[in-house]
Amino acid sequence: MNSIAFNVALPLLTAFLLPIISSSSKPAARFIGPFVLFAMLGFALVYFNTLQHPVAIALGGFLPPLGISFHLDSLSLLMASIIPLMMLLLWPYANKQGYREESLLLLLAGGASGLVLSGDLFNIYVFFELISVASFGLAAANRSAAAFAATFRYLVISGLGTVLALTGIGLIYTQTGTLNLAHIGLLASQLDNPIGLSAFALIVIGIGVKAEIFPVNGWVPEVYSAASPRISALLAGLISKLAVLVIIRLLVVAYQGSDAYIILLVLGILGIIWGELSAWRSKDLKRMFAYSSIGQLGMVLVAFSIPGDAGMVAGIAMMLHHLVVKPGLFMLTEKWNGPISKLGGAAKSSPLAAILFVFFALSLIGVPPLPGFWAKLLLVIGLIQASSPLYLTALAVLLTATVIETHYLMKTAIKIYSKGKKKQVKKWQQTSFNLSVISVFALIMLAVVFTLTPLANKLNHIAAESSDRVLYINTTLSASQPPLSQPLSQQMGKVQ
Amino acid sequence: MSTELIHWLLYGGAMGLIVIGVVGVVVLNNIFRIILALFIAEAGANLLLIIAGYRFDAIAPILTATSATQVMVDPVPQAMVLTSIVIGVGIQALALALVVKIYQHYQTLNLREIHQRMSADINQGCGIISLFSHERPAGSRPLPEPFVPEPVDSEPSTSEPFTPGKNQGDKK
Repeated sequence: MNSIAFNVALPLLTAFLLPIISSSSKPAARFIGPFVLFAMLGFALVYFNTLQHPVAIALGGFLPPLGISFHLDSLSLLMASIIPLMMLLLWPYANKQGYREESLLLLLAGGASGLVLSGDLFNIYVFFELISVASFGLAAANRSAAAFAATFRYLVISGLGTVLALTGIGLIYTQTGTLNLAHIGLLASQLDNPIGLSAFALIVIGIGVKAEIFPVNGWVPEVYSAASPRISALLAGLISKLAVLVIIRLLVVAYQGSDAYIILLVLGILGIIWGELSAWRSKDLKRMFAYSSIGQLGMVLVAFSIPGDAGMVAGIAMMLHHLVVKPGLFMLTEKWNGPISKLGGAAKSSPLAAILFVFFALSLIGVPPLPGFWAKLLLVIGLIQASSPLYLTALAVLLTATVIETHYLMKTAIKIYSKGKKKQVKKWQQTSFNLSVISVFALIMLAVVFTLTPLANKLNHIAAESSDRVLYINTTLSASQPPLSQPLSQQMGKVQ
Repeated sequence: MSTELIHWLLYGGAMGLIVIGVVGVVVLNNIFRIILALFIAEAGANLLLIIAGYRFDAIAPILTATSATQVMVDPVPQAMVLTSIVIGVGIQALALALVVKIYQHYQTLNLREIHQRMSADINQGCGIISLFSHERPAGSRPLPEPFVPEPVDSEPSTSEPFTPGKNQGDKK
């Protein structure tokens, strides 16, 4: 039953052993990373397919809320299986000598698995720091001056976010006297005051550094254009979604029906406006995708800020869509890294890449048969149903942003298909390995198009399960006996 | 002084440290000082957590034969702070390593200058000609001739923005 803990322990252990293994046998070091990732994928998929209802695992034998617990439901297991899958797709197979990047990637995989599975605020904080440190290392991995400087700014903003998030966690602790998410959910009425809301705002801003939320996303364009495209794909595709997952867990469990939804909605709207306008006037592909991912994350936040199941379905759909599309687009910038105005002739040198670009771009805009359309449709329907002035404003912003998105993506597509100078055309040729990775992302999206109905059912099931606050609380706390309706500090006779 | 007042003073102090740190990160221009400000803020957050679980009439949360019946301070925030201090030290070391690397590449600790050079580097990597490219020190490519503006009174049209290619053409 507890073998899901291997998903955290195995990659962490391998990450620290990798330098030693590498010094004794280079081929073994090359194969052990993908092997561990396959094992993780296997564990997560087995659980994902067999689990009928959510389960809480008390690690170490102490029952929650005192002990540390893992919370397994279909959303967390879905993310736990996506993590090793993305790592396998974006693994540096060509890297023959080094073990540094592999080690950091495994660290990232372990920390990320822990983050999505854990049901405890403090563990979430620790795993979040773990993936932060790993992502700093990866962002600086190509060792150029610009990468170091960009990573430094990333580190400072992220460090500040950590301080804010820790303050928020501290405030929640002063109000409820517990760190277990389910127990916090039980005591949620004590957070329905200005202190509770400011704690939520602090955690959203703090954790939101990774989720590219509006005021703390200054690092995004610099890091994504200075780091290697594989790393940008990982950061934009996977890591940002993990931060979003933490935020929605907190939102669903502890802040259901409060003003926290408005905070998220406003931050999302600002993110859309800022991201899409900046993407519109950016001059090269890397920064265009970086800014557009800020806009997309804003849309995800807007989706999650719709109360109830409708918002959850739309949010998860948007999140998964962006998780597949953005890495594909970022992988294209490996070779297409010049200014957009000079990209002419790129379609001639690698026609498949051009087709894939148009495919991803159309899905990002939301053209009917493609997955992006269904995700955006769910979002639009949710916003119309919510029908308060602020949500309708969000709808207007969303549709305007779609127009802007269409303009800059189609402008680029036209440029790619236009004629270019002969000397430069050769430069735009994509490597065949990259093309195959990008094709895998495209194939995933095609598969989604053809299996729409079963996927929609599955998505509804996941959303209903993860937006059910009572289910979350009961799953973790039903095993423990004492009455938990008052704060733990009061039970221990600490009434002031 | 009542314990209540001391409590609020401590809370105020912790918040003050966080504010000092955050303002320092935003305002300061030397990257080493920014790191110091970041860790003042972190100390503030840690202090806040410690105060959240502190009681004036309690003992340290260590279970011994004599202490079992006495009131203890809350051990959970202390465990949290211990963890967060360790994480903080790790991040501090990483940040300082990055500062060393940045100084090796750019020979400066001035944030604004680093930011300009970084933008220029990124732009150059993307093939976009930026206006900062003059200030790049000798390195991978030769420096262009220094730009000397012509006297304004003789030709008013020189006030248009400077472009490197055009200037080189003019000199030749």
